[in-house]
Amino acid sequence: MHLTRRDFLELAIVTGAYMSANPVAALAKMSYNDIMRFKPVGNVTLLFTTDMHAHLDPLYFSEPMNLVAPKKLMGTPGFITGMDFLRYYKIAPGTLEAYFTSCIDFPKLAHKFGKMGGAAHITTIIKHVIAERGRDKVLVMDGGDTWTTTAIGTFTEGKSVVEWMNYTGYDLFVAHWDFTFGKETFLKRIDDLKKGGCEFISHNIVDELWGELVFKPYTIKEVGGAKLGIIGSSFPFTPLANPRQFVEGWSFGIREDQLQQFVDELREKHKVDAVIFLTHNGFPLDQKIAKVVKGIDVIISGHTHDVTPKAVRVGKTLILIAGSHGKFVGRLDLDIRNGRIRNYNFKLYPVATNLIPADKGAQKIVDKWKREVSKTHKLDEEIGVAEVMLYKRDTFFSTWDWLVGEAINDYYGGELDVVTSPGYRWGTVVLPGQKITRDHVYDYTAITYPNVYVLKRTGKELLTVWEDVADNVFNPDPFYQQGGDMSRLWNVEYEIEINGPQYNRIRNVKIGGKPLKENKEYLMAVYGGPPPPPDAIHPDFKPVPVYNILIDYIRKKKNIKVRTKPNVKVLDAPYRTYEECFGT
Amino acid sequence: MITRRDLFKVAGVGAVALTVAPGMVRESFGAPKKISIDDALKEHLGTGLSGLKESNLIHIKAPTIAESGANVPVQVSANIPVDQVEALYIFADANFNPWVATVEFTPMNGEVFFATRIKLAKTSPVRAVVKMKDGSLLAASKEVKVTVGGCG
Repeated sequence: MHLTRRDFLELAIVTGAYMSANPVAALAKMSYNDIMRFKPVGNVTLLFTTDMHAHLDPLYFSEPMNLVAPKKLMGTPGFITGMDFLRYYKIAPGTLEAYFTSCIDFPKLAHKFGKMGGAAHITTIIKHVIAERGRDKVLVMDGGDTWTTTAIGTFTEGKSVVEWMNYTGYDLFVAHWDFTFGKETFLKRIDDLKKGGCEFISHNIVDELWGELVFKPYTIKEVGGAKLGIIGSSFPFTPLANPRQFVEGWSFGIREDQLQQFVDELREKHKVDAVIFLTHNGFPLDQKIAKVVKGIDVIISGHTHDVTPKAVRVGKTLILIAGSHGKFVGRLDLDIRNGRIRNYNFKLYPVATNLIPADKGAQKIVDKWKREVSKTHKLDEEIGVAEVMLYKRDTFFSTWDWLVGEAINDYYGGELDVVTSPGYRWGTVVLPGQKITRDHVYDYTAITYPNVYVLKRTGKELLTVWEDVADNVFNPDPFYQQGGDMSRLWNVEYEIEINGPQYNRIRNVKIGGKPLKENKEYLMAVYGGPPPPPDAIHPDFKPVPVYNILIDYIRKKKNIKVRTKPNVKVLDAPYRTYEECFGT
Repeated sequence: MITRRDLFKVAGVGAVALTVAPGMVRESFGAPKKISIDDALKEHLGTGLSGLKESNLIHIKAPTIAESGANVPVQVSANIPVDQVEALYIFADANFNPWVATVEFTPMNGEVFFATRIKLAKTSPVRAVVKMKDGSLLAASKEVKVTVGGCG
């Protein structure tokens, strides 16, 4: 960590550090207390993380420049970014909190404040709060997307993350990407968690044929003398967003009627003092849940990676979400007496890696598994240098996805018309000037179904799929959204009317600079979605894992410079570009 | 919660008279023009969309986004005494033939409740129409999206 005197002065002001002969040490010492400062309230503490995406190691991860929304949702929590976000939550630009919650000046602030997250640092925060409050007053929860999508998560089949969760003391869990190890492995990991005292709960997974619950829908916990009913919800659209084979025979969905029945059951039959809903539904969807389901006190949301510096209140329900990639630990203190919440206090602890010491035991677990995976995957090997900031999160376009398009096209001999990358919201950031390692590539692509497929598709078929995805992103009703971003289309340019009619939002599509022809056949590559039927795969192009293609391409190119200008024009909503957030 | 197994038990006690659309959902295959929802309503109920009265007594339980268009679970219940009801109709607007099923009720059924699985050719409102004994038509609808896939 290199700090100039001026940086340090600024930092000292925002973090409350005082001057000393050793500024970094003084800063670390002071800032830990500053970060942990919290006024405890009442008898119950809920601690929660979500969407870590198996980032056991610290990383850089910028919040998005854009969360383009249909008119009805514009400007509401879940669709506010950048400077608007800082204004909405009254956060001063340039501060540690601004660095964690917005994209503004991300590369500059990254040099100043350093990395984010890291499992061992999260453990420190959780242990700190447990020590302060007492174990019987604290419930530790995770909202899923926790075991996979990095090398250390995916190539250990989630064992690394589960060992850390058990060490740290998690009590409750719901899931989404975690299912992509397949049912058998998923159930094994659930069993491992159970041995560590952590329960998997989900009310919205039923047997496809009989409609019977597959898992325990809720659990009842005595916490700080209060009786809490906690209902779980795993990602409602898992069989659609990810290959169905992983959850064959299970049906998901929002199931709000059933949820209402469980809420009533907890209140009337079990006489709980409060009902908590732990979800991987997505923040906009959960805000609608709070409108249509009566009697939930608190929703701990997940999936869409949003950050809520303040609790959002819908009717009598509080809704909170603790970001993603291990950047935050949420803490909600509740004063619950005689079936009523009388007071609360809430904070998202930013997991500022340099300022929060790693828990030694947790670090040992992380190091052990990292060594193990490095034996086969050489995680720290440097394969190139980033000349622009490589990032993934945005509604339509990212430098990383454009690089993927270039790499896949290059791999298949430069013959492709289109490369489609999925609109996942996870990944990492490589700063301008930073060395790119193999681990970075896995951070963006390490899934259990990594193959790239080359197919022939007519212009009309392509358009139908893109319109379909656009409706999953821009439907004005959150119950009809899947909570991801738009597919990234390499070598394609188009305009989009966000509020246009369903399945008729996309205009003026050009492929390779020429207008799309509905009847023309295009050669396209795709990965990261449900696998295409075997007979659709072009026999001349062998499916290959996307990370292998990327590693070879970056190694070949060495200095990675990709366009920062989006290939999409948004006709009826503001759309910010690279320079506005990340500088030139 | 009523599971399908429970439903079969109920059905065993008071069987409903059920008529369902035959065969598969087909886009064309030389068949005549797609039947509009208005025409389908007219054929089965003698009146089009304008003759239906939206009612919050009727509740449709169906996924917002179908896991498979070939097999969409739909459950309809109505908070109306069963002896006032003649029949329940289910329609899916965007299907080639929107009429899906007709369920006749008798007081033996105990309540207006029907669960089934339907095929949806594409994203469509699913409509439930309750024909009352006095001839009035109460209706509710819910959009079910059929999607080719997505990204999380």
